[in-house]
Parts: sequence; C-alpha cells; structure tokens
Amino acid sequence: MCPCRGIRNFDVMITAEGLTKRFGAKTAVDDISFTVRPGQVTGFLGPNGAGKSTTMRMIVGLDRPSEGGVTVNGKAYAQHRAPLREVGALLDAKAVHTGRTAENHLLAMAATHGFGKQRVREVIELTGLESVARKRVGGFSLGMGQRLGLAAAMLGDPATLLLDEPVNGLDPEGVLWVRQFVRHLAAEGRTVFLSSHLMSEMAMTADHLIVLGKGRIITDAPVADVIAGGTRSRVHVRSPHASQLAELLAGPDITVMRAESGVLEVTGLEASGIGDLAAQHSLAIHELTPKNASLEEAYMALTADAVEYRTEALR
Amino acid sequence: MTTITPTEPRTSLRSPASALSFGGVLRSEWIKMRTLRSTVWSYIAVVALTLGMALLLALTTASGVDGAPDMLGGPAEAQVGLFVQASTFGVFLAQLVVAVLGVLVISGEYGTGMSRSTFTAVPKRLPVLAAKAAVLFVVTFLVGLVSTVGAYFVSTAVYSAHDVSASLTDPDLYMPLLGASLYLALVAVFSLGVGMMVRSSAGGIGIVLAFLLVVPTILQLVPADWAQDLHPYLLATAGTNMFAPTEITGTETLTTWQDLLVSLAWVGASLSAAAVLLVKRDA
Repeated sequence: MCPCRGIRNFDVMITAEGLTKRFGAKTAVDDISFTVRPGQVTGFLGPNGAGKSTTMRMIVGLDRPSEGGVTVNGKAYAQHRAPLREVGALLDAKAVHTGRTAENHLLAMAATHGFGKQRVREVIELTGLESVARKRVGGFSLGMGQRLGLAAAMLGDPATLLLDEPVNGLDPEGVLWVRQFVRHLAAEGRTVFLSSHLMSEMAMTADHLIVLGKGRIITDAPVADVIAGGTRSRVHVRSPHASQLAELLAGPDITVMRAESGVLEVTGLEASGIGDLAAQHSLAIHELTPKNASLEEAYMALTADAVEYRTEALR
Repeated sequence: MTTITPTEPRTSLRSPASALSFGGVLRSEWIKMRTLRSTVWSYIAVVALTLGMALLLALTTASGVDGAPDMLGGPAEAQVGLFVQASTFGVFLAQLVVAVLGVLVISGEYGTGMSRSTFTAVPKRLPVLAAKAAVLFVVTFLVGLVSTVGAYFVSTAVYSAHDVSASLTDPDLYMPLLGASLYLALVAVFSLGVGMMVRSSAGGIGIVLAFLLVVPTILQLVPADWAQDLHPYLLATAGTNMFAPTEITGTETLTTWQDLLVSLAWVGASLSAAAVLLVKRDA
C-alpha cells in the first residue's frame, strides 16, 4: 500500500472453503472450494441452475451459507469497514427501484459510504449514462440497466468485481465495451469474477475458468487448458465415397460420425492420415478440414453430465 | 496493458478514504425517501386529508354551534375540545395513508430488487432497518405536526366567526396535536416492521389495514368480556386515545401515558420481529 499517491494495493482474493447452500431439500451449492486471484479475469461458467448466482450472492452476504464460508481479502464481506470499496457487485441489472432516477439511485448507494456527488458523476460518465441519468429506471432497456449496475458496482472503486452476466442484453458495441472494461480492470490489478453463459465471450475475456455443474466444481483451470483438455480436435471430411471411407477409418481410438450424406466428422486421426488413407484406396476427397475444439465444445463436454435441465435433441 | 491512456476509462476513486457509517445509511434512506413520487404524494395526501377533514368538521360543528346557543361563549374547555376534534379528525384517515407508506418503504425494495443493492451496500442489514425507521418516524411526525397545526388554523378560520377560540399555547390543545402526530409516526414505523416481515406490498398493506380497521371493529362486536378487555390494548385504540376525545373512541380505560406505552410496545414488537427475520433470512 502506498499512502502517498492514493494508489491502492489490489492484492485481494476471494476464497471459498467448503461453501455449501441448501434450499430445503435441494442443494444449490455443494461443498465447493476455490480461489479467485487478482490481476486476471476469472470466468464462472455453468448451466442454468448450477449454483453460480447463489455462490456470488454468498460472497457478498446476501445468502447465508449452510456450511463452509467465503472470504474477501481474508474477511467475510460484511466484516469490512467499507464493503463497497472491497467488492463491487453487479448481480442483477434489475436490482434498482424502478420509480427512482439512475442518478438518485447512485446518490443513495454512494451516501451509505460517504462517496460524494463527484464520484457519482464519474461513474455515470464511466458507463456512458449521461443522457439517461435523470430518467426513471423503470423505462430503461436491459442494456441501460446493465450499465447502471456497472456504475453502481464501480462507486467504491472496488478491488474486486463480481459480475453476473454483465453482457446480457447489451448490443455488440456494449459487449465490446464491457469486454475492454473488464480487461482493463484486471490489468489494473483488480480481481474480476465474471459469470456468463456466452462461452465465446469467456474465451475472449477470461484468463481462468471455474466451471460449475449441479453445485459442484467440474474444473478450475486456465482457459487454454480447458480448451485443450476438453475435447480432442476433429476433422471434417467431405467425400463422394463417404461410406467406404468410414469403413476404412474404423479403428479402436477413432470415432467417425456421419453428419449428413457425404460428410464425416472424424476424431482420433490427423487430417494428413485421413488424406493418405484415401489416396491409398484411390478415393476422392472434396474437403478435409481440421477443426479445433472451441471453448463451447469443451464446455459442453465438461458439463454434459451436470446439466440440470436438458433439452432433448429434436429427431 | 498496465499503462492507462487518456482514452481508457478512469476507474479509480479520488475522494479520500471513506467507510460505511450509520450516518451514511441515514442519509441514503433520506435520499431514497424523497426521490420516490409515491412518498411525496402520500405525505401530500396526509396534509390534504387532515386539512380537508378539519374544514368539513368545523363547518358542520359551527352550524350546530349556531343552533345550540349554549355553546356560544361556552366554557373554555369545551371550546378547546372543538378545536382538538376538528384538528385531529383527519388523522383517522391519514393513518391509513401512512400505514400503506410504511409498508411500501420496504416492500417496494423487495418488489423491485432494490433490496439486493441496499443489502450489498450495508451487509450487516440491521442499520438499514434502523435508518428506515428513524427517517420514516421523523418525517411522518413532522408532516403530522404541520398537518394538525394547519388544521387548527383552518378550524380557527371557521370558528372565529362564531366566537369560539382556543390558543395554540394551551397544553390541552397542543398536547393532543403532538399526540396525533406521534400516533401517525408510530403507525408508519409499525407498518415498516410488518412490511419487512412479509416483504410483499399487497400482503403487508392487507395486514396493517386489517390490524388498524378490522380487528378493533370485530373485537367490539364480540360479546365476550375478554374481547372488551383486549380492545383498549390494540394499537389503533390506544394510539388514537392519546389524542382523541372519549366521545370518538368510545373507551377510555387507560391514561394517556399508558396509551403511549402500549403503542410503543406494538411498534417495538413489530420492529423486533422484523429485525430477527432480517438477520436470519437470506436477503
């Protein structure tokens, strides 16, 4: 901590140990332990009902853990002298009284910690809300609501940001803005804990991933590792002799799927190997495309067994 | 990545270190109260009802005074009684407005999701209940005082033509006005506690209105001793007995100070139950 220039030390971690939350007979969060580190964006992924929001609510003390606990910078959130300076939370864009203007909402929030009107003006500028600041929140679009939620989260210049689906409802420009904003906050050394159901968004924004399914942690690893380890890469093959080729390819570690007539999805063999094999048997190939596993596929593979509400594929 | 160029958002807080404080929570609740139209309109309704009912009652009584010559220049005590009656008559309607307001102050936050923002900013929660109660009490008491004193002047305008007068410095006049204002403030805070317990506008309003209007009426109709014994100890009975002449409320088994204690006990019970649930439940 350097007292001379007001530069703050953002060495803050979120640490959960044996965190459990039960609602009646249902266990929403089941004995999870994790650490969210500063200076990077930690993504929090999981299907609906996996317990992401409940976990985030427990971090800021809105829900009481049934067992275990979670600390921010070594202390329970509620025990800090200035909670809003520790954690800025955007848990729900609609956590605002609809009858109040955006500016008055922020002034009321700021007043609890003695942040001045100047700070309210700053966060309004920061989030681009100038034109609607004096309008009542009831008429806000979801995107405007998200910006207001971010403005409120930034009031205390917090060392940690908890953002639950922050790009939800934003237009492409807004999504880009949030992504840059969040990266910028992490680069400043802050701890950023971000949930999103947009896997592609996570690939571009997060450095580290915690994947939750049915209240349990499925994986806790850097994004690159999750993508690499999640699924094996496959090869897209188009050929007029698809059936013949499929028979030739069949082997112990090789999976062949027929996507449509004349198209094969091959896992377990490199594109070069498939090409050589086809050449040996004089089979024409029209397309041979290696496909890298996307984060989305890695995620689907990871959570396949942990989806609470599965949609049956249409037949 | 670590250099902040001028085009990047400036995220840091320049203001000196500040922390969560009860004074801050009080200011926050005051800002919340005055920035909602429903609050402002409720208080305007309290003033309008109190003044309007005073005018109506004074006019009606004045025509009666003319018809009953014995009241003209009657004993000073009776004259003061006329003023008290007119100035506090509207309170019987205004109590319903402040009861609804008291519930909405908190149920509106649960209904809109604002409570999540509130309790994230003040994670210990209890200061929020205390600050809401304090702001609601003070504002309602002051609005009540302005209304009843205003109603006194309205009554004066009517009665002076009939030679009926009373001085605002007379304890027999100003004590009931203070009592009526206090009653409004206590009803509002009692309702806040109920609103915090049930977290729903419709449910909370239903309960407080039933408690203020329906329960006293039913108890009076029940032909049993226990019902008659219980009646003076209801918030609506004890509270209104603090200021209203016996002719209006019917029963007078407790002294004014006992009435005040009973009313305070109701408010204390409501707030204590609300506080216990507030800390125990998920926000």
